[in-house]
Amino acid sequence: MKLPNQSSPPLSRMWSWRITFVAGLILLVVVVMGLSFGPIAINFQKILRTLVGAPGSLTGQERTLLLYLRLPRVILAGLVGAALATSGAVYQSVFRNPLADPYLLGTAAGAGLGATLAITSSHANIYSLLPLFSFVGGVLAVLVTFFISGRFFAEPNSLLLSGIAVGSFATAIQTYLQQRHSSALRPVYSWILGELTAANWTIVRWSSVYILIAIAILISISKQLDGLMLSDEESFSLGINPNRLRVIAVLAATLATATAVSASGLIGFVGIVVPHLVRGITHRVTNRSLATIAMIGASFLVLADLGARTLLSPAELPIGVITAFVGAPFFLFVLRRKRVTG
Amino acid sequence: MIVVEDLCVRVGTKFILKDVNVEIPTNTWTCLVGPNGAGKTTFLKALLGVTPYSGSLRDNGVEVFRNHQRNVAFVPQHPNIPVGMTVAEYVMLGRSKRDGWGRESTSSRQLVHSILELTQLFGLHRQFVTSLSGGEMQRALIARALAQEPELILLDEPTSALDLHHQIATLNNVEVLKEKGVTIVSTMHDITLAAMYAERIVVIHEGKKLLDGPSQSVIHSPELKEAFDNRINVFTLDSGRPVIVANKEN
Repeated sequence: MKLPNQSSPPLSRMWSWRITFVAGLILLVVVVMGLSFGPIAINFQKILRTLVGAPGSLTGQERTLLLYLRLPRVILAGLVGAALATSGAVYQSVFRNPLADPYLLGTAAGAGLGATLAITSSHANIYSLLPLFSFVGGVLAVLVTFFISGRFFAEPNSLLLSGIAVGSFATAIQTYLQQRHSSALRPVYSWILGELTAANWTIVRWSSVYILIAIAILISISKQLDGLMLSDEESFSLGINPNRLRVIAVLAATLATATAVSASGLIGFVGIVVPHLVRGITHRVTNRSLATIAMIGASFLVLADLGARTLLSPAELPIGVITAFVGAPFFLFVLRRKRVTG
Repeated sequence: MIVVEDLCVRVGTKFILKDVNVEIPTNTWTCLVGPNGAGKTTFLKALLGVTPYSGSLRDNGVEVFRNHQRNVAFVPQHPNIPVGMTVAEYVMLGRSKRDGWGRESTSSRQLVHSILELTQLFGLHRQFVTSLSGGEMQRALIARALAQEPELILLDEPTSALDLHHQIATLNNVEVLKEKGVTIVSTMHDITLAAMYAERIVVIHEGKKLLDGPSQSVIHSPELKEAFDNRINVFTLDSGRPVIVANKEN
């Protein structure tokens, strides 16, 4: 049998790093746009000079606007977008379900309940703990989902179904609380639609820790996630412990999602649109491309936030409205294109 | 040598396998036959180490349950076909345990190249596995198992979806492994094919082992007929090859 010579190109082009590089460039451009545009436009060059501390940097009001309002907001949008997109891609692999999204296992409803509890409580102190409440609510909901489905990973679909049940239950309690405290309707509603207006360095600091840790875990196991696309027997024979891998993946993705939700409310569609976009354009398994998906997710949300800030300026649109408005038609486009080209 | 002693597998209170005792010698092809629901696939999964059991199931003296150290290839009857993965990548997954996930060494690349040629998949290797026909997918599955360079290969109905020509081609590709000292255990509905390839046949019926032994003696045994409710006939061709066909009348 003729063997190929040593210099033969890889048989299996696992992932082209050029795509990741392009995604990085896109993110860079979008971030600069996000910092520069807005009700008050700031000069590109001055932004760069301010960020690197070079002479000729911004002063006074513009400097405050950049460093204390726009920069934390853009960074938070990027973090949340990366978290939602990455966990969406991972959920889709773990559940072998292309429509799985990061809010699947009751995270959103649990976090919503936690947030509503914080908003409806009469103590101002508790209101300031809203992120903590929604984070705990989201994580608790996922734990209950795990607990109820029992032999949780023997049958991924039972986990999915119990996630739906737990989610509906939490939503029911949340709606009840909301109706009891009609004054809370508006803040709860705007939280549910997602908002980045409250972004500040404190939120960026704590959320970046959890989100970056979770994304790092997911990227480090991303190659093994390919094995989960096979049957459990096959992945076991290839040296993977499928159940343990699923638990690690789901917990890390939940950490990222719960952090994102507690920092910014419920922002829909990112977790579905971005993985499908990357998959649709590259025609590749998404697991190889988690870093790219994270960067595209970040870019997508920074852009959406830019739209939220500028479209009705000086008023703001909830960012969740933008992501759904752009995301849904785009999703249909990708779906149709995929169906046509296979 | 795989030694199975008093093997029981239960789901709830129902026994899928009960008190199975059998020895599977190294470097042989052993085929499990029996009607649907007899417990053949469960037996394969127990051999792989994913199904909990009572009794003992030792591969070269080591209990197999959840033992990740063994190098066992598994060819399922109904594989999950991953989206967005090329044939070459799919076959390369077989090297993951040796090279590490996501890596491919030069030697693996050469091995996979030769396996793709052996299984007549070279040329299709840049296509997505989702675009393959049933026969091509079965070859890709076998190719991935070959790429594992396993010590033991477990095949669940490797020929069930194939036409006669591809059945032989697939089984010939598996038979190559015997020259390399690999132990082969398969289930097969086609007992004629089982007798052609396997040296040993184990007859399973309702979770129990009825008989095991050299293929030729098992084929002509009353236990084989009993397992199929006496609804099969065994003929012998002039060449001495046995042919098993279903019996229409009772």
